[in-house]
Amino acid sequence: MSVRSPAGPRSSGADRILSADQCDALARRIFALARGPGETRVSIVSWWNGELRWARNRVSLGGDRQNLSVFVRRFTDVGFGDAWTNQLDDGALEAAVRAAERSAQLFGSVLEQPTTLPPLPPLDARQPPVWSDATFNLPTEARGDMVRALIAPAEAKGMLSAGFLEMHAGARAQLSSRRPAGPYAPWDEPYVAWTQAECSMTVRNASGTASGWAGVSSYDWSRIDAPGLAARALEKCDASQHPVALEPGRYTVILEPQAVADLMENLVGTLRRADAGTWFLGYDDALKLSRQKLGLKVVDERITISHDAMDPRLGILNEPGMDMGPVTWIDHGVLTNLGDWRGFAVAALGRNLGTRLPTGYRMTGGETSISEMIRTTRRGLLVTRLSGVGLPLDPTLVEEGFTRDGLWLIENGRITKAVKNFGFTESPLFVLNNLEQLGEPVPVYRTVWDALELMPSLDQLTPAIVPPLKAHDFSFTSLIDAI
Amino acid sequence: MPFPPFDRRRFVKGLGYAIAVATVPRPLLVRLGRSWEPVPPIQDPRLKELTARALEAARTAGAIYADVRLTRDRSRSIHGGGTCSDAENLEAGVRALVNGYWGFASGPIWSPDEMVRLGQEAAHQARSNSLGGSREVDLAPRPVVTDGHWVMPVQHDPFEVSPFEIMDFLEGEATAAARVGPHYELRNRQASSGWGARFYLQAKVFASSDGAYCTQQLYRSTGDVSVTAQPPGEPLVIRGVPALSSAGMGWELFTADRIPRVRNHSLREEIRRIMEGIEEDSRLPLKPVDVGRYDAVCSALVTQALIFGTLTPATELDRALGYEANADGTTYITDPFRMLGTLQVGGPLLTLAADRSTPGGAATVQWDDDGVVPPECILVKAGVLNDFQTTRESAGWLKERYAALGRPWRSNGCARAPSAIAPPMQFAANVAAAPGREALDYEDFVAGTTKGIAVEDIDEPSMDFQASSGEGHGRLYKIERGKKVARLFSAAFLFHASEFWKSLRSLGGEASLRRYGWEEDKGEPEQKCQYSLTAPAAVVGQVAFIERGRKA
Repeated sequence: MSVRSPAGPRSSGADRILSADQCDALARRIFALARGPGETRVSIVSWWNGELRWARNRVSLGGDRQNLSVFVRRFTDVGFGDAWTNQLDDGALEAAVRAAERSAQLFGSVLEQPTTLPPLPPLDARQPPVWSDATFNLPTEARGDMVRALIAPAEAKGMLSAGFLEMHAGARAQLSSRRPAGPYAPWDEPYVAWTQAECSMTVRNASGTASGWAGVSSYDWSRIDAPGLAARALEKCDASQHPVALEPGRYTVILEPQAVADLMENLVGTLRRADAGTWFLGYDDALKLSRQKLGLKVVDERITISHDAMDPRLGILNEPGMDMGPVTWIDHGVLTNLGDWRGFAVAALGRNLGTRLPTGYRMTGGETSISEMIRTTRRGLLVTRLSGVGLPLDPTLVEEGFTRDGLWLIENGRITKAVKNFGFTESPLFVLNNLEQLGEPVPVYRTVWDALELMPSLDQLTPAIVPPLKAHDFSFTSLIDAI
Repeated sequence: MPFPPFDRRRFVKGLGYAIAVATVPRPLLVRLGRSWEPVPPIQDPRLKELTARALEAARTAGAIYADVRLTRDRSRSIHGGGTCSDAENLEAGVRALVNGYWGFASGPIWSPDEMVRLGQEAAHQARSNSLGGSREVDLAPRPVVTDGHWVMPVQHDPFEVSPFEIMDFLEGEATAAARVGPHYELRNRQASSGWGARFYLQAKVFASSDGAYCTQQLYRSTGDVSVTAQPPGEPLVIRGVPALSSAGMGWELFTADRIPRVRNHSLREEIRRIMEGIEEDSRLPLKPVDVGRYDAVCSALVTQALIFGTLTPATELDRALGYEANADGTTYITDPFRMLGTLQVGGPLLTLAADRSTPGGAATVQWDDDGVVPPECILVKAGVLNDFQTTRESAGWLKERYAALGRPWRSNGCARAPSAIAPPMQFAANVAAAPGREALDYEDFVAGTTKGIAVEDIDEPSMDFQASSGEGHGRLYKIERGKKVARLFSAAFLFHASEFWKSLRSLGGEASLRRYGWEEDKGEPEQKCQYSLTAPAAVVGQVAFIERGRKA
């Protein structure tokens, strides 16, 4: 895998992201600049973004951006201090190391207690598939050609297409100057380079009275059928014209996979005992999954939520301290695992590794196609996706939000009308207990957990494979005018 | 979470270092000529030569217009209990226009070679896109600033203040808070550890191919703070400190005895009043809301929150025309050209102005990222949509409409890139709602309400994707005969933007105005920028109140 970019205006020597050797050499330069015997920890993150944004059937911006972040933590006799920079020359690195040392000297608080944790087991060396040359090497011209092809059908029909195509690459490594016995120190994270491609678009009619959306994300651009997405968004916009208002109330719903993923977002985020600092508190609300529900059936037995990091469609970044083997959080409806940080696992569970959270996950489905679901629905609603999903009654899992970009009434087995959007108040747990039918799981659109502003090294890929489903008694609580 | 005891020994030992911290220049290196040298002050004329390289490269590669931004971003985060971390970054970004299409390239290096690379890449990006259907860009004219320099006036440059002094102050306030009552604490926003302060200083260069050149130094300060109380046997109460929200100010945001429109007394007194409010609240019974329509008495903070959710996004012209349709959405101003000057968006009391010049404003600049000096503009005049927030490009879309209304064709100066790594786009300016004529404030409104609900503080309202319908929830109180008689739990109110603003009954006077900082997320990929909202207290008639989380 080469990080050197293909020829073009870039060939004046700029690497888009740093390679493993470059990170290693950089870390060693930083270690050599340290004054004093204390440990130095370095986190090096670099990223590149190639993007194309369009609106009203024309590209509004094509961009090529890159940046990096070098984080230095210096330990001295009184504590540790931190500094950040994005410059790689000797002067800047030295300045960062000195700034970290000054900070340690002046303000260092001994927050890091000597660890009571046993040494980490050997790191699983297998790298889940998270790099795609297709994503990294897609030339600017090809992006442009692709987007023009995506816009053309909408424009031909007098509609307005808006969308976003993004190719992203990131690389990170964490190294410590002190390596105790064992293959790596607790701070170390082996170098990993990854890619992420996103393609999404919204087609609206000229009067703004209809809107359709389609999108998907993957680390691998070659797995994204962009023309298929464009056709789907256009079709949904076309079919959304002249929506009628329905009474809010409880309806049978057919949720397309994206809507299911949108609904599930808060649920998967909750499949953990508690945050690192408050694990001993846990959550004990009746509607939120907690350690008290471990071993109990919480949703329909057809639902299994699991993750295998080596699955080519579900690659995530290795998390040292976490068990990177396959994990199942909900097994045939039974809550079998919660994410746990390593400290808790060692202290309370006798395990030397933590359990992962569903940053990436696969949800089982069934074999009923969406058309079959429609055919067997006497009265219900077909939902494209959900927007603005929030938790009004935290810590319960009751969610509020809106339908968006395509909502249709089904009567006696057929789609009969486009419907105005609803606001909903519903819990994913209730929905997964009111299941009627499930379809084939497919990849959906989900953005990378992007911590660029705070700690770039915390970026994490979030692939999800999610089925469409039909459930009854879904609560729509208000009618909205927004299209 | 108590701080470790302040270590006097370390203080004295560190005193010598304190001076070192404040005065040693940080040699980030740039290459202006043949070799690397410490980055010069932003006014250094050699930076102009650097930017000229990028502009020339873009033009040679076919751009009819190009602009460059260089930014040097410093930030410092200090938390009581002894952490001080610094970050310092350099960024450079070039934007090029070819046949009506924009291209953009950015990276972290300031050097002549890199300027050429970025200029060429930006033009390359634009040219690749321009193979599509024709696209017009009509940039609204602006006076060309040649060699302008501006430093945001602050009383105390936070990077010149000793971190020890800042830490001392933070610990002092925390101790004072704890003295008010043993269950009170000052914590950070997530209430997970001690509170702190964050400071940002951006030194920025803007240069364009039509000869504009200016430099600016922009400050921003904010508190990472919440007031928490855990009375025995009661759940944890967490309240924000709006007076420490983002502002275009220095250390004085924390230390000034008063800041007009932000707080009328010291920060310590402001915090003490928040704690007093928590105390008073605990004496009020908790009751469920009786679902129905009530007059809503809104504090200045709540009026701001509602403007934040509705009118600010609604008046962003790019959003109104569908340029954010694939992201946050569009607006309820569905036909901007026809509605400009005619659409009633609120009652006659509502007048909303936008500017980027308010001292202390979080969006305050001398020039925007198009090189425009942002004028004050009136977005809403006596309830009628009067203007939009625009950049040079989006103002171009209004050219004919402005001409028809007999107005000058100009940008309202809202072009903004959080740093040179990001392309400039339209972001909110500082927005201010005009006060009412009578000298009334929130307490007066409560006292004058026989039956209603006081809305004292809300989280950001949950809005739909046209910034039209929303729900607000937070601290709500039942008002009976001029007094708050109960706290309402699980209550929320629903609103439609137009209906809500048309139901404005009263606005607080000048003295009730408050200015706080807000953060806007926009774009793909998402960018964040801060801006200030100024608003008075308000009474809105017949607002629908419901039970939160109630299912159909």
